[in-house]
Amino acid sequence: MDLSTILTKSPDAAFRTYDGQATIVLPSRAQVSVLNEVGSAVWERIDGRRTLQEILDGILEEFDITRDQALGDLETFVADLRAQGMVS
Amino acid sequence: MFTHASRGLAAEEMSGQERPIRNDFNPDAEWFASPRPSFGRSALALRIGPLRFAFEGLSERQKERFAAQYGPFLDAGPGAPDLTIRMTRAGVETFLTLQEGGSELYRMPTRLDDGARRWWSYEFAGTLAADRRHAELALVEEEGPRFERGSENFLRALTAGFILERGGLLLHGAAVVRRGRAYVFFGPSGSGKTTVTRLSPDDLVLSDDLTLIVRDEGEFRAAGIPFGMAHHHIPDSNEAFPIAGLHRLAQSKDVRRERLTGAAAVADVVASLPFVLQDGEDPRPPMEIAARLCDSVPLWRLYFRKDDAFWSVIEER
Repeated sequence: MDLSTILTKSPDAAFRTYDGQATIVLPSRAQVSVLNEVGSAVWERIDGRRTLQEILDGILEEFDITRDQALGDLETFVADLRAQGMVS
Repeated sequence: MFTHASRGLAAEEMSGQERPIRNDFNPDAEWFASPRPSFGRSALALRIGPLRFAFEGLSERQKERFAAQYGPFLDAGPGAPDLTIRMTRAGVETFLTLQEGGSELYRMPTRLDDGARRWWSYEFAGTLAADRRHAELALVEEEGPRFERGSENFLRALTAGFILERGGLLLHGAAVVRRGRAYVFFGPSGSGKTTVTRLSPDDLVLSDDLTLIVRDEGEFRAAGIPFGMAHHHIPDSNEAFPIAGLHRLAQSKDVRRERLTGAAAVADVVASLPFVLQDGEDPRPPMEIAARLCDSVPLWRLYFRKDDAFWSVIEER
């Protein structure tokens, strides 16, 4: 994964965070998704400006997880968000 | 760790992505703009929750049929309707065609043409004008099952959109009234909505398929809608009842319920909203209303089997 990548949320995706978890609606895919707390923290940081490296650093600061674990999970998660059309 | 749970958006009626199927007639903007004759000169109005829909261009026979079918929902009150719907003859034999030799999910494509929302399906093509005060419903037949299915599906889509503006929702769910309070059971087709109503023979059933959630003086209430598509329950009452609880149905061998809150609760409700989460429409209003609903009314995941034991779980204090 290229950590210098900057992701942008899909303009079609509407989202709102409830109790630290994000609900994301993607009408074009007829889909509603719920992210867990860490996923929601990543989602909130995807803003078209931050790099994946900066997002990873923020997650490591906020949550008690190892760098290796966070990196692996972030890679899977970003691939999933891309596949679902939620980010580009 | 970051994985998320996804739910497909509600309802068979949402399936209408345009697919290139032979013999489908997908009307273009020019077709919609061309004039069509009405069926007659009769008119009638319905009240669905807080919404008033007026119909023009009905034949006398259609008017009688509507009056008999939608009895408790007829509206003779004063005041302007929210929407006036002109009923017209489509002048074509069909729009979409059923795939040869099989059944399929009911398809109902939709699109926006310069602010006008279009829907069409097998039996009808309808337009909600950009001013949202006028609509046209063009039907391929003057009476019979195709007339009823086409008109009711159009009216369901309109109801779903208009109730949002009043702070309510049209939920893919059944509603049963017990001791003056409505218990709403929702979930996709096959989750058990009709079963729940059949297991409640002594209660008032508002709906076994689509329940109108209305906001009345700050309180969410449940009401039925009269558009039963020939195989769904049509309520005997147009009354709205305070909601005791929302139950997302899950079939199971044991009977229990789990409280859902926050994002999971909102996602379950949003995933059960037919018609409103479609391309070109802002998904935020239904999300906001769903969140308010979940803040006001307890929501549960109800695991139930096909007997009435679920009532003892629901009514436990």
